[in-house]
Amino acid sequence: MEFLGQDRREGLGRRANSRFVLILLILVSVLLLLSSLYSAQASVFKKAREGVIDATAPVLELFSGPVAYFNGVAGNISDYFNVLEQNKALRDENAELRQWMNEALELRKVVAAYEGLQTYHAPPEAQPIDAYVIGEANDAFARSMIVNAGRTQNVEPGYAVVDDKGLIGRIVDTGGSASRVLLLTDIQSRIPVFVEGTGLEGILVGNTRGKPAISITESADDVEIAQGQRVLTSGAGGVMPRGLPVGVIDGQTRDEIVVDLYANYARTRLVRIINYEFPAIGETLSEEEEEAGDEPIAEPAEG
Amino acid sequence: MGYRAENLLSVLKTAAPMLLGFLGVIFLALPLRLFEGVAPTPIIPLVVVFFWSIYAPAYMPSVSVFLIGLLQDLLTGGPLGLWAVVYLVTQFVVMSQRSYFLGREQKVVWLGFTLAAASASLMLWLVMSLMSGVLLPVGGLLAQMAATILIYPLFGVAFGELHRRVLVEA
Repeated sequence: MEFLGQDRREGLGRRANSRFVLILLILVSVLLLLSSLYSAQASVFKKAREGVIDATAPVLELFSGPVAYFNGVAGNISDYFNVLEQNKALRDENAELRQWMNEALELRKVVAAYEGLQTYHAPPEAQPIDAYVIGEANDAFARSMIVNAGRTQNVEPGYAVVDDKGLIGRIVDTGGSASRVLLLTDIQSRIPVFVEGTGLEGILVGNTRGKPAISITESADDVEIAQGQRVLTSGAGGVMPRGLPVGVIDGQTRDEIVVDLYANYARTRLVRIINYEFPAIGETLSEEEEEAGDEPIAEPAEG
Repeated sequence: MGYRAENLLSVLKTAAPMLLGFLGVIFLALPLRLFEGVAPTPIIPLVVVFFWSIYAPAYMPSVSVFLIGLLQDLLTGGPLGLWAVVYLVTQFVVMSQRSYFLGREQKVVWLGFTLAAASASLMLWLVMSLMSGVLLPVGGLLAQMAATILIYPLFGVAFGELHRRVLVEA
């Protein structure tokens, strides 16, 4: 590489990079960093984020088509090598699912009978909004995705986002036609959850690792937690509906319960944003009944 | 070519490294998921900032570096100013060692980039750990920086060709 650096005097005299400006800008950035510590939700910053999401969404959308295509081709090639095992696994799963289907059909009749009773108040229905993942923060510490639905599709910050396997995160910034989803593994992610069948309530705290951990807020004494128990959203705080599948218990150390997420972020492509209206207090006369109706999943330990 | 067109062309040439940096940021925001998400996406803006800070700082003014960092912060959703600080400090360190790197072999410059990437990672990790209050795991960051260091020779040659053939040539 002799050609570079030989001409070190060419073109430098006119517009030499000023050290003063450099140091000034470093100071400005540090100030920005400090101020974002204390006012992360300040309207100026929020507007800037939303503006950038809106401005880059068309570019990201343009690129995400070919990217998805090549990912699909690469995925297909690796699938060819284990097509036989996959086929067998799928046939087994299909047989199992058929049994579940029969059971579900039976249960549907029972539920319909209960719903016919006059005392039953139906829980408010969620209105899903479908979207594609067009961007992703490929950053060591920030875990988020950008999806192509925004304020024009009635997406609001706080809404839960699921894919075909389970919860993947929640909306944090909404632009006009694209929004950012904070993933469960991000360091800022806090999602109220409970462990099915134990009455153990907690907050799922992201820590940039693949498997986030639950910090316990409420539990009966001596709860037995086994590997493989389901973890669902608890709906505490009133933004997410109760009972969205999050993952299964992976293991328990002395002070944390590690959760193996259902979501596989390397494969998330089509997502569903859940527009959930939490029942407002005072809107109905019988608020308790409403809350009871809001919990479709029974918890034996509490009952 | 008219005077105005010539002027526009020279502005474009000066801004080209910054636009490359923006492209690198967009590249970081694409859902590439190389090898099912096993391979991390290299941080190309770091290469852009490093390269032009050594060989032609006039094409990479600090304002451009600041804007590249700011765009990355806004797009990844991290704390505002984080990547701006990392890139600006990298430029500061690199420019103070500029006279050493100029005219050296590509291997030496690659080693220099490795050191710059390592110091950038250390800075990132320290700031993020301070801001979140816990010592964060470093695995993902190390893998990403390793990927960035591995692709440096390729992009170094490509940027060198671009600079020599397109930007400096009249």
